[in-house]
Amino acid sequence: MNALRRHRLLTRIWSSEPGWKGWFTTVNHSDLGRMFLFVAVLFFMIGGILAMLIRAQLATPRSAFLGPDVYNQVFTMHGTIMMFLFAIPLFEGIAVYLLPKLLGTRDLAFPRLTAYGFWCYVLGGSLLLFSLVAGIAPDSGWFMYPPLSSRAASPGINTDFWLLGITFVEISAICAAVEITVTVLRYRAPGMSLSRMPIFAWYALVTAVMILTGFPPLILGSILLELERAFDMPFFVTERGGDSLLWQHLFWLFGHPEVYIIFLPAAGVISTILPVMARTTLLGYGWVVAAAVALGVLSFGLWVHHMFTTGIPHMGLAFFSAASTLVAVPTAVQVFAWIGTLWKGSPRLTLPMLWILAFFATFVIGGLTGVMVAVVPFNWQAHDTHFIVAHLHYVLVGGFVFPMLAALYYWMPHVTGRKRFFKLGETAFWLIAIGFHVTFLAVHWAGLLGQRRRIHTYDPGQGWEWINLIASIGGFVTAIGFALVVLDVVVNAAVAVRGSRNPWRAGTLDWAMPTPPAAYNFASLPLVASREPVHDDPDLPARLARGEGYLGDPARNRRESLIVDIATGEPAQLVVFPANTALPFVMAFVTGGIFLGMLLKAYWLVPLAALGVAALVARWVWSLGSTREEGPQAVGRGLALPLAAESPDPPGWWGSLFLLLANGTLFGSLLFGYAFLWTVAPGWPPAAYPEPGLEDALLLLGGVSLSVAGIRLADGALRRGSGAWIGLLLGLAGAGATGLAAATLLLGTSHDAHAYDATVWVVGGYVLFHAALTGGMTLFLGARAAAGYVTGRRLGEARILRLWTDYTAAVALLGLGAAWLPGLAM
Amino acid sequence: MRDVLRISVPLTIWLASFSAVYGLQGLVCSPRWGAAGLGLAAGRVALVAAAVAAVALQAVLLLGLRGPRLAPASGFVRGVSLALAVVALVATAWTLLPVATTSLCL
Repeated sequence: MNALRRHRLLTRIWSSEPGWKGWFTTVNHSDLGRMFLFVAVLFFMIGGILAMLIRAQLATPRSAFLGPDVYNQVFTMHGTIMMFLFAIPLFEGIAVYLLPKLLGTRDLAFPRLTAYGFWCYVLGGSLLLFSLVAGIAPDSGWFMYPPLSSRAASPGINTDFWLLGITFVEISAICAAVEITVTVLRYRAPGMSLSRMPIFAWYALVTAVMILTGFPPLILGSILLELERAFDMPFFVTERGGDSLLWQHLFWLFGHPEVYIIFLPAAGVISTILPVMARTTLLGYGWVVAAAVALGVLSFGLWVHHMFTTGIPHMGLAFFSAASTLVAVPTAVQVFAWIGTLWKGSPRLTLPMLWILAFFATFVIGGLTGVMVAVVPFNWQAHDTHFIVAHLHYVLVGGFVFPMLAALYYWMPHVTGRKRFFKLGETAFWLIAIGFHVTFLAVHWAGLLGQRRRIHTYDPGQGWEWINLIASIGGFVTAIGFALVVLDVVVNAAVAVRGSRNPWRAGTLDWAMPTPPAAYNFASLPLVASREPVHDDPDLPARLARGEGYLGDPARNRRESLIVDIATGEPAQLVVFPANTALPFVMAFVTGGIFLGMLLKAYWLVPLAALGVAALVARWVWSLGSTREEGPQAVGRGLALPLAAESPDPPGWWGSLFLLLANGTLFGSLLFGYAFLWTVAPGWPPAAYPEPGLEDALLLLGGVSLSVAGIRLADGALRRGSGAWIGLLLGLAGAGATGLAAATLLLGTSHDAHAYDATVWVVGGYVLFHAALTGGMTLFLGARAAAGYVTGRRLGEARILRLWTDYTAAVALLGLGAAWLPGLAM
Repeated sequence: MRDVLRISVPLTIWLASFSAVYGLQGLVCSPRWGAAGLGLAAGRVALVAAAVAAVALQAVLLLGLRGPRLAPASGFVRGVSLALAVVALVATAWTLLPVATTSLCL
């Protein structure tokens, strides 16, 4: 088979449907990556316009341009859009588009999940945009602190838009994080061991795990605050045992790692592009990997440094001040590695390189002001001033937007297949770089002179007039620069001449394919022997196109790729991907019903939509696997591998494992909140603690034991080839008993009496939900076994259920045990 | 997966111990500590003991990762995991130092 015929066959198998219908049914990572990037840039432009409104208002004292109500909505939505609807989705877009190409595979681990996450992002973002256009946008700041955001101070629907819209969007982040984690660990080119992974993949992996562990505290906080607003459950109401500081803890448990979730992908981009621009390799690859991992974990120990002015004792302040200074070390390791890379190479002053240099200057200043605000006495003085506004913009724009502009110009030839001709980008660079520094150096200065943030105007005569005017002029110059970038991209993408395949002479696999890339990425999968396979073998792209790698024969007429061993990169399984489907779009739409029902207080819609989602999930999962054994399949180069569906650890098992990591973090955050309120909240103890009877304890212990034993019995029976019914029935009974134990706890308390009761309701509800989920999954497994999908050789689904059953058992014991503990101790 | 755990465990333990000591400090400074008949001196002892235990755990982990039983097949993973174990040990000692040097509940 020649290369052209192979290309045509693979394109027919992998491409999306033509026309507008393809947008709603595509599950292809290149398409979805581009869609993510397009929507994220759209949100960046909206956030940028809001920024200009802020600067127009602050340009002169006593300005009547925006009233306080509108100003509150504008600055809240500016921060919200930039953090949740631009920065994170832009990372998702880059990872979705690039990772399979860098890793030498054909798609991400769960293509339909990518599509579902994208549509959740679009629909959740649309909710927030609607609120902005309708003039009912959130107005309590992007951090939504209660009591300002509680019902008493914010009775309107504005806050609900934020809580529900952002939680909807966060589904997208969790989906992408599961996707990225499993892809980096298991979907790589054969031979790509951990030490041969492209550096961006390491950064993406660390970022994805951070999303899995950093987002759940905010999701929990949003759920609790919405429950308080909707059903009067007083988690943050001091008079009834709540504490508004709990929100600050939950928010910043997310909020500080979020800064690094934004920075680390940008650092990954720099570590990828910089060596190419310097015509060398990255200095200290292992040290950079270690620094990225260290930064990722250390960033979780900094959350209280956003709360230095809340009256926390000195020792607590000292813990977080020490951790905040410590985090500068791995950041510096990376910066020095980049400087060393420049030193050993021969740098070219291209446009991506200009953006990287702008990053260096800006991010180092932002980092140093970060060390300043980590010092407690300075923090007390600068807190809530424009100095903090300037600091965070130096970090986020310098540390994220500038590297993303470098990425834009570096990978633009890859996405468009064209060579940049019009040179508007250089003019845009100077406008943005100068405009940004003029703006935010001035904002630093205004902050040091005492100008407070989040105040819609200021009086003349305080020495701030010229500073603010200069900052506003700089802001508009920056905006003109960004408009030029958009124009540059559109013009070059539309009319520039065709470019060559690897214009930067890079060594990574993303350049070992025609540009723009085909729907299948690689006509055959490469065997990798180093970190820069294209440098080792310049003829590699042509050999892959000729089908000389793995899976070069598309005769089976289905979407296939390989799964490898995590450590060594040895090929382990053959995976078959799903084809185009509208299911993810429909499911995202129905998921939206849950949020819309809550928002409009049409509570009847919530269970209806939840049932719809459950039915769609069942349909989604039912379409996986097969009722016939295929055995080992030839994958090329003389190798035969088992199908992933016939392996003990199919992709779904890994996906479940990392989804449970996020789920466990949410549950851990809930227990933290409970312990926090119990320890420090005023208004405790409540009027009474429920005292569990012996029958309650027996119900819980019996239920958990039956569940855990039942799935093991079923697993063993399936392995032996006998019926799994007894085990599944026991598991079902166990799930029922566990759910009943949780329900008795709920029936013994009133959800709105006290923060304790409200917390117990959430803990009990969480256990009840998981018991119902496990019960449903057990029934589903029974149906799958009866239909012949689950057998002794296709045990993956039973192992997935075992994972969920064990998790439910653990949270039931911990959650109900914690809820009953005060009653037992009385 | 074992290689991923070798890389991630030391700093994860730092995070757990750091959060636990911060939680313990919150408990010591809460009314519940006094209600249990314990004073601030006992609180200081508990905090110092917890910090020392956390440092000792990191030291044991570092030694274990250097030994042959936990050594990974890949030199790259060994190097990265050892570097991160050192980082975790230093981070534990540095971030928990305030248990011995600052006022407890002021």
